[in-house]
Amino acid sequence: MESVMRQKRKRIRRLPQVLAYGLAALAMLYASYSLPRWLPGDFVTAMYASSHVTLNAEQEAELRAYYTQQKRFGRYLADFFSLQWGYSYAFLSPVVRLIREALPWTLLLLGGAHLLSMCLGFLAGVEAAWRRGSALEKAGVGSMTFLEGIPEIGTAVILFLVFSLHLGWFPAAGSETVYLERSGAQRLLDVLHHLALPFLTLFLAYLPGNFLLSRGSMVMVLKAQFIETARAKGLPPLRIRYAHAARNALLPMVTRFGLRIAFMVTGALVVETIYAYPGLGTLLFNAIAVRDLPLIQGIVLFSSLVILLVNLALEFLYGWIDPRVKHAS
Amino acid sequence: MRLDIRRSLMNDPWFLSGALLGLVLAFLAGAGPWLAQYNPHDMRFPPFTPPSSDHWLGINDGGMDIFSELLYGMRNTVWFGLATGVSALCIGVLVGMACAWFRGVTDQVLMRLAEILLAIPAVMILILAAAFFRPSSWMLSMVLAALSWPTIAKAVRAQALVVRKTLHIQAARQMGASGGYILLRHMVPELFPLYLIGFAAKARMAMFMEASLSFLGLFDPSRKSLGMMIRYALPYYYLDIWWNWLLPPIFCLTLLIMSVTFLAVSLEKVFDPRLKEAL
Repeated sequence: MESVMRQKRKRIRRLPQVLAYGLAALAMLYASYSLPRWLPGDFVTAMYASSHVTLNAEQEAELRAYYTQQKRFGRYLADFFSLQWGYSYAFLSPVVRLIREALPWTLLLLGGAHLLSMCLGFLAGVEAAWRRGSALEKAGVGSMTFLEGIPEIGTAVILFLVFSLHLGWFPAAGSETVYLERSGAQRLLDVLHHLALPFLTLFLAYLPGNFLLSRGSMVMVLKAQFIETARAKGLPPLRIRYAHAARNALLPMVTRFGLRIAFMVTGALVVETIYAYPGLGTLLFNAIAVRDLPLIQGIVLFSSLVILLVNLALEFLYGWIDPRVKHAS
Repeated sequence: MRLDIRRSLMNDPWFLSGALLGLVLAFLAGAGPWLAQYNPHDMRFPPFTPPSSDHWLGINDGGMDIFSELLYGMRNTVWFGLATGVSALCIGVLVGMACAWFRGVTDQVLMRLAEILLAIPAVMILILAAAFFRPSSWMLSMVLAALSWPTIAKAVRAQALVVRKTLHIQAARQMGASGGYILLRHMVPELFPLYLIGFAAKARMAMFMEASLSFLGLFDPSRKSLGMMIRYALPYYYLDIWWNWLLPPIFCLTLLIMSVTFLAVSLEKVFDPRLKEAL
């Protein structure tokens, strides 16, 4: 939907964009700082009375003190950046440690699925645009649009029922077999075995978006005059496709990434929960189930900041992919 | 030109299948209270009863009729999507038009705000708000709308800036038409296709989020929803009830998301002039 003109203008204003990310991060931090302070009355009793966690009097007093302390926003920021994110009374552990334990699994699952789906989706999209009008391309677009309509909850539960429960090919929960001492290679295989189903689910969820987007932009690029020129010069098709066209088709994928991230994160939360994969999503699910406020807050804030950082990094990657940006600014 | 668009929409299989699915589901959701034989909150039936002629999809663990639950759940999901879509659209159009019309400081301030909101992951704010305040689903839908208008506003603004310079707008101005008249009679109708695209995209996102967040347990537990049905059915997957309890909500949710996705994809394809050539 973004017109070429708007993209050009966007490229020129990169500094304000960076500033916007900074402000967004600050807004998230402030929301997380001020929201508990708006809570009415004795919410600690109200919240924990309806959860399965029982606090003893001392813990309850500590928690109440944590949420009613008159902390300045500056102090809150300082605490946040020195990793003092509070204490989880449901898991009896500091929030930071819980997040640190869960993070690698989420990175492996989410990062892996995203990278693979992006690479394959992009390649397939470029090839499809090149073969426009052929039966293969039409079938590809059709099946990908169809796949785009299936939410992660659906894919996850169906794959789980078929491959884990019915056929028993893959384990139903966890990230590796516990209480088992194994050598490196065997452990790796075990981890991959556990990873397979959630990874496949997320891959299937991310692939169609990448494919459709890169195909659409590649079709536009192939109409440009410089492609005509490249053809007229008699360059080999493979070189035209990748060296000339695909690089330009890559740009919308980078700009659209920020918009798609909300879908991706929400989907990943659900998928991790269904396969009981011990990442941040499952941790958040458990925290919500027992209304563990400090942990919810910690995970939400941490993942928001990571998302903002990824977006910011992409902003710079954008300049690197498209040298015109560098010259413009 | 309008006729052209209608014809190409009618010829697009994605639009047709999406609209057909959407109509059926909208009917089921709209007529839910009349179609359901039982109150979905009624807990007097024997739990885990298999499907029978009285209870088409059987009874869940809490003694509630699954078919009635399904209809009410779908109704809630659909309403959530529509409400969020409409509100986001209204804010987006208002802001986009204001930016294009007043320009200058208004434009600068609102667009910077839009950029900040675009950068903030909306799910995270929703989770935070839902976990701390346990607001009603309407409140959450408004929060989501308040966070997701920027894409619509940006698209509307860009297009409105172009339309503003066209001859008939200039002519209306020359004839002394007021700003409000031009905006309402000329600019707002002119941008029509953009609204459909924006609405479909937002409604799709909202339904997806509602299902996922209610699956995670962030909505009022007494509110029926497809995501929550899946959540409650999942722990019993080892029993032989998954096909009448777990699969129906998944099936309905998938059809729902599919219908909106097809509509969104097809609208974008037909109305976006650049993409129209591409496809």
